[in-house]
Amino acid sequence: MAKAPAKTEPSQALDQGLAVGVARLTPEKIESTIRTVLKSETGARLSTYVETCIHCGLCAEACHYYLSHDNDPHYAPVGKVKQTLWEMIKQKGRVTPEFIEKAAIIAHTECNLCKRCAQYCPFGIDIAYLMLVVRRIIHKLGCTPLYIQDTAHSHSVTMNQMWVKGDEWPDTLQWQEEEAQAEFEDLRIPLDVEGAEIMYSVIAPEPKFQAQLIYQAAAIFHAAGVSWTMPSELGWDNSDMAMFTGDNEIMGRIKRAHYDAAIRLKVKRIVMGECGHAFRSVYDVGNRWLGWEMPPIPIVHAIDFYYELLKEGRIKITKKYPTPITLHDPCNVVRGGGLHEKARYVAHTLCESVVEMTPNREHNYCCAAGGGAINCGPPYKQTRISGNRIKAEQLFAAKTRGAQVLIAPCHNCHSGLHDIVHHYGVGLDIKFFGDLIYELMEKPA
Amino acid sequence: MPTVEFGGKSFTVDEDGFIDDYTNWSEEWVQYVKKEEGIEELNDEHQKVITVLREYYEKNGIAPMVRVLSKVTGFKLKHIYELFPSGPGKGACKMAGLPKPTGCV
Repeated sequence: MAKAPAKTEPSQALDQGLAVGVARLTPEKIESTIRTVLKSETGARLSTYVETCIHCGLCAEACHYYLSHDNDPHYAPVGKVKQTLWEMIKQKGRVTPEFIEKAAIIAHTECNLCKRCAQYCPFGIDIAYLMLVVRRIIHKLGCTPLYIQDTAHSHSVTMNQMWVKGDEWPDTLQWQEEEAQAEFEDLRIPLDVEGAEIMYSVIAPEPKFQAQLIYQAAAIFHAAGVSWTMPSELGWDNSDMAMFTGDNEIMGRIKRAHYDAAIRLKVKRIVMGECGHAFRSVYDVGNRWLGWEMPPIPIVHAIDFYYELLKEGRIKITKKYPTPITLHDPCNVVRGGGLHEKARYVAHTLCESVVEMTPNREHNYCCAAGGGAINCGPPYKQTRISGNRIKAEQLFAAKTRGAQVLIAPCHNCHSGLHDIVHHYGVGLDIKFFGDLIYELMEKPA
Repeated sequence: MPTVEFGGKSFTVDEDGFIDDYTNWSEEWVQYVKKEEGIEELNDEHQKVITVLREYYEKNGIAPMVRVLSKVTGFKLKHIYELFPSGPGKGACKMAGLPKPTGCV
């Protein structure tokens, strides 16, 4: 038998949370935890996937880590399953603490759960689900990487991901309302308005550090005459890193708080900001964990809402953006939500020139930040960068064809692409759709 | 963790370029981050932001909301971003010697 090729190991910085967790493991704990998760939580879905996979390897070339590591099979989706879940199943849970440590790193930082591979699998096996099962086991073993665990802790204590305390949230909104009133005298950020058409929800980094995004959204809703509100208490943060740490119980609580806020306010639907993973958590994973096949209240991503506002002429563009842009398709709203054509409608309405990346739409390459990878923090930054050379090449190609600005309608994509652009010296400005709409729209006097 | 040399001093940093420990912060670190962040000139306003961040972190063990930063310094949000183009969570926290904030940042 041919010898397995050695893996090209990137230099791995120490993750203290993971190291402490692994040091506490015992063989008994590992075995019983794996067996319990496999027996009581996976069921037919996992056995079907395991029994169906014929190890054909067609998933390999779908993965940006595989392509960026010169086709190293360790980075093929099937290779990642082989190094984690299959071995756990085969050994009936009798794996070592070192194995668990490696499995945690693979499942958390060498896979973004972007599901590009699932599209290329002839049987449609959802490999992201398999990686989530690994993360569930890692979570139950207390070996989740430190930074993302901190975020999950924040979710469980505060129901938001940035440790924002009760009064800091409405205080931030009122502050942004005040700042915005210098530009639009009668602008409001309406809190707790029962019966408003929409509830607008965001992710906690917006109030924490990027309050200008709330300002911009308020300005856009104001210009469009939208009847909207935000909850002043729990449920305003639609993000959910617990979904990515396999802490399903906390994930469910966060989603319930979010939907409960909308139900309490009796709104017709929820509009969410430009975040991808949050969309996945409210539209696919979290709602289903709670037993709602579809969300209990209609929920639309910002791309969808901007599409509506522009199509119906509620927002008018005074002058198109003259600089050529290229558009990044975030996995969760495109592969997961089918918003690629609407995103293009928005892009073409706003901009004179849209340079398509190749591949694009549901075939687009991932940002390598998603799936909680960037949330695992600094120890894994190089993993994301070396694992996404292919994205840098794709961006360079778009730049060569004239693009100067990169639109990324997702927070994680935004930050991840910023790292890629900076490291590889691509030289593209990165913006949200909201940035452009605010800049280009006809503003009320 | 990598180390960087600047102004005759040596600093240990994480992969995102944040200092390993808040107590290892010094004036040379500020100058190093100024260069890294491409900030042309440091003025009293940068200094004020740094002081507020460090004092808040010392008391609370976390970076403040940008709202708090604005309230205490008296700077509008836009102005904070003019001082630190990569934002309060990245550039300003880095320069003040705080750890990289957790979350989607």
